Amino acid sequence: MNQAASMIAFYSLAALTLIPALFVVNSRSIVHAGFWLLPCFLGVAGLYAALEAHFFFVTQLMIYAGAIMVLILFALMLTRNAMDPSAPQHNKFRPVAGLICGAFGLLASWALTQHAWQITDQSPQSAVEQTTALGNALIGMYAVPFEVASLLLLAALIGAIVLAKVERGPAPETAPLADLEAIHTLE
Amino acid sequence: MGLTNYLIVSALLFAIGTYGVITRRNAIAVLMGIELMLNAANINFLAFWRFLHPASMEPQVFVLVGLTVAAADAAIGLAVVLNLYREFGAVEVDRADTLKG
Repeated sequence: MNQAASMIAFYSLAALTLIPALFVVNSRSIVHAGFWLLPCFLGVAGLYAALEAHFFFVTQLMIYAGAIMVLILFALMLTRNAMDPSAPQHNKFRPVAGLICGAFGLLASWALTQHAWQITDQSPQSAVEQTTALGNALIGMYAVPFEVASLLLLAALIGAIVLAKVERGPAPETAPLADLEAIHTLE
Repeated sequence: MGLTNYLIVSALLFAIGTYGVITRRNAIAVLMGIELMLNAANINFLAFWRFLHPASMEPQVFVLVGLTVAAADAAIGLAVVLNLYREFGAVEVDRADTLKG
């Protein structure tokens, strides 16, 4: 019974992840594609919960379903009408790329079923213990990657501001006298 | 559900993301494909952590760094797209061909 329930949960989460992902890459309207990302990210968060990675379940909801979704929707609004909606949304590689990516997905899936993994029957710690251990690891053993990640975020923050800043030239000068005289003679 | 099922979901998500990155003409849609690929990588890390080494912390640290890189990537990518839009008046990746020989 429990196994059947977990199976149903896994397959619905996989469908919630993969079907919206297909709409994201195929949808004609870019705004629809942006909104299809949300169920996809929620499905991935559900998969994290099924994997008992409690901290990353919450992180996925906050960073992907929250922050990155808002960022992408803002970019869509700021570049509105930049692309003719009746123009093709995909380039000329679409059939070839579809074939290659489909073949890659199927072959990778087949190859993954061929390997016998050494699966442990050890189960992860509880949510509190796990998050405590992660926090301790980040300020102890893995302090350097943690600091590098924060440095990367700071650099990205400053870089994004510099890149997106509007360059304003010097204030427009007043019209030269000669122009004013020309206007007078016209009158 | 076993490790293989999670890995297959991750492989399919990665394939879908790659397809989006290769075929989409809108730069923002290309970024969406990259986000899908990064999500697939994170599912892989956590599946291996859960089924092979549930006691170790390395995979979780990897996922955390991966999330940070994804966030930085989204912010910088969208700033570049906004600049592209301002410069060329277009968000199609094939319009930004100034460096083409």
